[in-house]
Amino acid sequence: MVKTLRVVAGCLLFTSIVLGSISDTPRQNPHLMLGGYQVLAADFHIHSFPLSWGVLSPWDTVVEARRQGLDAIAMTPHNHTWVAKVGQRFSTWSGGPIVLAGEEIHSIGYHMLAIGVRNSIPWRQPAGSAIDEIHRQNGVAIAAHPIRSYSAYDAEAMRKLDAAEVVHPLGLRNEALASQLRDFYEHAHVTAIGDTDYHLGPLAPHVGEMGLCRTYVFVRERTGMDILDALRKGRTLVYDREHTYGDPAMIQLAAEDGRLPKLAWTGREHHFSTLLSGSLGVLGLLLCSFLFGRTAGVTAHRL
Amino acid sequence: MSAWLGFKRPLFLAFVLGCTVSFLTARTLTLRLVVPEMVSWAFVPLIEIAVLAAVCRRDCRNIPFAELIDSFFGGYRPWLLWMTGICAIWSLLSPASKPLDWTLSIVWMLGGVVFAVVWSLFIDFRFFRAVLQRSPAVAARELAMHRFISWTLILAVIGGPTIWSDITGRLW
Repeated sequence: MVKTLRVVAGCLLFTSIVLGSISDTPRQNPHLMLGGYQVLAADFHIHSFPLSWGVLSPWDTVVEARRQGLDAIAMTPHNHTWVAKVGQRFSTWSGGPIVLAGEEIHSIGYHMLAIGVRNSIPWRQPAGSAIDEIHRQNGVAIAAHPIRSYSAYDAEAMRKLDAAEVVHPLGLRNEALASQLRDFYEHAHVTAIGDTDYHLGPLAPHVGEMGLCRTYVFVRERTGMDILDALRKGRTLVYDREHTYGDPAMIQLAAEDGRLPKLAWTGREHHFSTLLSGSLGVLGLLLCSFLFGRTAGVTAHRL
Repeated sequence: MSAWLGFKRPLFLAFVLGCTVSFLTARTLTLRLVVPEMVSWAFVPLIEIAVLAAVCRRDCRNIPFAELIDSFFGGYRPWLLWMTGICAIWSLLSPASKPLDWTLSIVWMLGGVVFAVVWSLFIDFRFFRAVLQRSPAVAARELAMHRFISWTLILAVIGGPTIWSDITGRLW
């Protein structure tokens, strides 16, 4: 009986993996040109495994970014940069999206993204001096999810900041937090950013699917340097369900063209085959989990 | 045969970890995620085995280590069921967009983890008592030592810098 159940579980898992692999298609990502700029879809706040409460390895992060139709990502491990550099090298080697190495400075009172930096930045310092260090490394400083509990930015730091996350999964679920993000952005007068803060996958309380919130960056050339330059100069567009943030000229360009607003909220469609594959996989895992506790040999007698 | 006995359950645990990452990312099982993430997360069973070897080093003379591993990893059933629940929620529901599904996912994530911790503690306590023939006090001490060392190492790999800055930042 147990043997039969094991065979059934194995068949369910095998079928699920085959179906799931076949139906695992990437999100559409048409190339857009607006006003002489290439428009790139980017997510600048992505955590990988290990050391940052992420689940995906750096190489799978790069592959997933491509699957989600992202042209560029910034890998931002907590208080270090080496995982981001691994992802960057893998993407260069595999022809993946542009990967900007960076880190999330996980300090007390504020979290800040340092994008395009080479070396890790000490987290035990006020926001203003951390921004100076980011700029010394030719990086860009982005206020990460600056809701009230993460917004220890004094006037000097606000003046030095390059950008702020105005759209974040926190705000998609909670209007009060969305309002705090908007207030910070309007007060700071910086470049608008929409990020996912990808950590433990979509089930974690504060985060979403990679690329769920994204920033559209207007660049002349598809390079990391050009993306950083666009961030410094404010050439971005970010959509949430009701608002559009960013450079007014870019907002007008996108509105006249009409494609970008539609593209921004076109989610991934889940096919029947994905649902079927998932159901079979769950059944297979459930069966295996029940069979897993059974012991054999000497230990069975003792237990 | 003996080596396979010590290998199969840790391997299966790594497989389920790979499957969970695949479900969290793609809502289904896909080869491109299951296999590489199984390799990435193999550190969990490896740490568990290393700490088990350290805690039970005296017993390896009496019981083959492969059997010890096999018996010990039998206690992972609560965790497997918890991870399967996570997979089911993300595969069949829409926690990212529906508030009720999201609430259910949080209840399972947090409530389920408490249930899994308590149940697995009970199973592992029985392992130390019945398999390793420890007295209740020694079984409790060794189980606590195993849990402390292995979980500290696992958490350090998953989120070390964050935990460090959270703890020291509050003392600073």
